Amino acid sequence: MAHLKTPLQGYLGYRGREGQTAFLLHRISGIGTALFLTIHILDTALVYFYPGLYEEAIGIYRTTLFGIAELFLVFLVIYHGINGLRIAGFDLFVPQRWNIPTARGSFRLTLILTLLLWLPAAAVMLYNLLHHNFGLFGG
Amino acid sequence: MQLPDAIKEKPGRNYETIAWKWMRYSALLLIPLVWGHVLLQDILVGVHRIDLNYVALRWASLGWRIYDVLLLGFAFAHGVNGLRQVALDYIHNPRARRGVEWGLLIFWLLITGIGAAAIIGGVSALPE
Repeated sequence: MAHLKTPLQGYLGYRGREGQTAFLLHRISGIGTALFLTIHILDTALVYFYPGLYEEAIGIYRTTLFGIAELFLVFLVIYHGINGLRIAGFDLFVPQRWNIPTARGSFRLTLILTLLLWLPAAAVMLYNLLHHNFGLFGG
Repeated sequence: MQLPDAIKEKPGRNYETIAWKWMRYSALLLIPLVWGHVLLQDILVGVHRIDLNYVALRWASLGWRIYDVLLLGFAFAHGVNGLRQVALDYIHNPRARRGVEWGLLIFWLLITGIGAAAIIGGVSALPE
């Protein structure tokens, strides 16, 4: 862990603008999604190994705290997907176009597309949360 | 922009270049798999309507089980290899790096095995 302090300080101090933000968001969203995926594989596996506990696990996901976390998780999954497509697209098909202006422009486009896909998804999930957990909209 | 000579040369085929390609090709496949899963389970169905009966109903269809096996296999392999890349960025001691790689390999096989057993075994008991 001796090597962790230097890069973390570097992330805060380095002013790489869009490219660096894209990298950090990709890394954070990837780690977060991988950790959630691990938990999610295990909770789903309860249906076979311990079905009585499955409903308990789902009960935790239905709480307001997890409902809010779900909104963020979906944002991270959409971002990681679009930014991953951006990376794979440049790397596999037009690697010679990897330069600072296109990286900046394509990252801004990535953020806009992420928001456009996330907002309707978040609206539906927020509706469900308010409906089931707070009795709104005829709940 | 002029690239330095050192990065103009393509590296030969080795484990890391294969892993590099794997991350990008699996990404293309994970877009429909993961987004489809999130759209169905989180947005259209929602966690308040998911229970044992719902899982049993969905897995009654072989197509959904195949979908979930593909999702498990590709998403988790992509995720664990991503964690490996992140960890190796910060861990430089050769012994520690080997430890991370073996640890993650075992972790990957174990969790994938548990998930696959559940998809193949299905819901083992429904509530009364």
